[in-house]
Amino acid sequence: MATDSEQSPSNQSAGDVGTSTAAYMVDAQDVHKYFHNNEVLRGVSMKIKKGEVVVVIGPSGSGKTTFLRCINHLEKINKGRIYIEGELIGYREEDGKLIEDSEKNIAHMRSEIGMVFQRFNLFPHMTALQNVMEAPVQVKGQAPEEAERRARELLAKVGLAEKADAYPARLSGGQQQRVAIARALAMDPKLMLFDEATSALDPELVGEVLKVMRQLALEGMTMMVVTHEMSFARDVADRVVFMDGGVIVEEGKPADIFSNPREERTRGFLRKVLEAHE
Amino acid sequence: MNTNPIVKFFEYLFTLNGAFRWDLVFKYIFNGYIVQGVVVTIFLALLAQLIGSLIGLLLYFLRRSRLRILRLFGGTYVLLVRGTPLLVQILFLSVFLQIIHVDRFFASMDLFGALGFTIQVPFDAFFAALAALSLNEGAYMAEIVRAGIDSIDTGQMEAAKSLGMTYGVAMRRIVLPQALRVIVPPLGNEFNGMLKNTSLAYAISVSELLYTSYKTFGPALGATLEFLVIASFWYLLLTTGWSIVQSWLERRLNVSNIDPAQLAKVKWWSRLLGTREPATVPGLAPVGPTLEH
Repeated sequence: MATDSEQSPSNQSAGDVGTSTAAYMVDAQDVHKYFHNNEVLRGVSMKIKKGEVVVVIGPSGSGKTTFLRCINHLEKINKGRIYIEGELIGYREEDGKLIEDSEKNIAHMRSEIGMVFQRFNLFPHMTALQNVMEAPVQVKGQAPEEAERRARELLAKVGLAEKADAYPARLSGGQQQRVAIARALAMDPKLMLFDEATSALDPELVGEVLKVMRQLALEGMTMMVVTHEMSFARDVADRVVFMDGGVIVEEGKPADIFSNPREERTRGFLRKVLEAHE
Repeated sequence: MNTNPIVKFFEYLFTLNGAFRWDLVFKYIFNGYIVQGVVVTIFLALLAQLIGSLIGLLLYFLRRSRLRILRLFGGTYVLLVRGTPLLVQILFLSVFLQIIHVDRFFASMDLFGALGFTIQVPFDAFFAALAALSLNEGAYMAEIVRAGIDSIDTGQMEAAKSLGMTYGVAMRRIVLPQALRVIVPPLGNEFNGMLKNTSLAYAISVSELLYTSYKTFGPALGATLEFLVIASFWYLLLTTGWSIVQSWLERRLNVSNIDPAQLAKVKWWSRLLGTREPATVPGLAPVGPTLEH
């Protein structure tokens, strides 16, 4: 599979982008991002189909986490476009310029995109159940009884039905991350973003979180996963994307990337990562 | 009479050779006027602390605003208020309200009379004192609120936003409840100071505790020292009572994450006087209430 070489978005008018990109869950076009003078994303383009599981790998500092955070507009972008089901996220386009969208619109689009963080970010003043119920009640205006019923279902799904009333401080890292996944799922997202969801976990707790993520992939959830877990990438991904230095170096089916990487940089990275796991 | 010089010294110290009227102290300590002054003091302190805390919260948002003019306003406010004495601010507002004739409107109100007070509480002066104390407190609370909110991990706001919450909802539901645990201990100290700072309002004839004791009875009975002792007794009672409430509140919120079982073993007077052994505090980690576990 060849590296996607997207055309620049500049030759598309605002009118027809909606229809041409709506077929994709995510359509990121030529995304650039600077932190001060440091360009961390140097023109990243990526299309994710509905139901697809894309795993992004790469060395630290490659921009993969920053790119993931741009997808739900936790990071602003300096150039390019990101469409979610054909809708520009974070910005309005006026005369070819990006103008920050209203807070309400951004919040609404984010409410349909689940995100799981490296450091869980559970709300420590709420029980596991309350963590999962909070957004459906506050954002969607769901009735508390309905939200609680659904929250208990989701906690059962991630194997934590009996921990519903525990505060995050009383849960292990793996349990906290599973609550965080349930919390994101409670909003019925159409897309899930995983930002190194297992990197902060003790090795023996990684498996229980990956199991939940595998299950989600099997159910057909559209997922974008930034991870260092190569076995997960190999087994679950529909497509593996290797990023380095703020660009996509290579992408393809996991079998191709892992057994037959074309780029020297990919080979070097995989060699280092796989050696570390021996 | 005892001729021991040490005994004589203490006798002199506590009675000023008979000049100090302990009988007056005991006679007037629970005097109705003075007790009403105590109530006015509590009233003034509570209201000023409440309004001041809200001003502090407002100042936090002003100083975090995207608009430069609002940040400038917030910064200037804090600079001016913290850089001038509270007594000057009270006098300034009192005179200023008179010049712009706002005092006439308030002078016609008799809130405390309606509440059944038999002392005269000039409401225009009360309002000036309340405004000055609140505005002053706001500047100090701004720092406390800022420290409290900024101590909450940015990941909390991000997680809330990623779930579709707006900044306002995330603040109210996620960040502020956690910041409160950090804010409560210094807020308690502020209120302790506030209870005592209300005494400055006596300078503009607000009928608070110092006014109804020292200023009302002292010169009339030729016993100023006695009525200062009475005022001190009441201030001490108020601040001590508050210390007990505060430590109860802090335990409820478990601000220092000490094992609740360990806390329960400490007697209340031991906490108050600080005689208990220093506990090994495992650091202020951002965890939820753990009392029920």
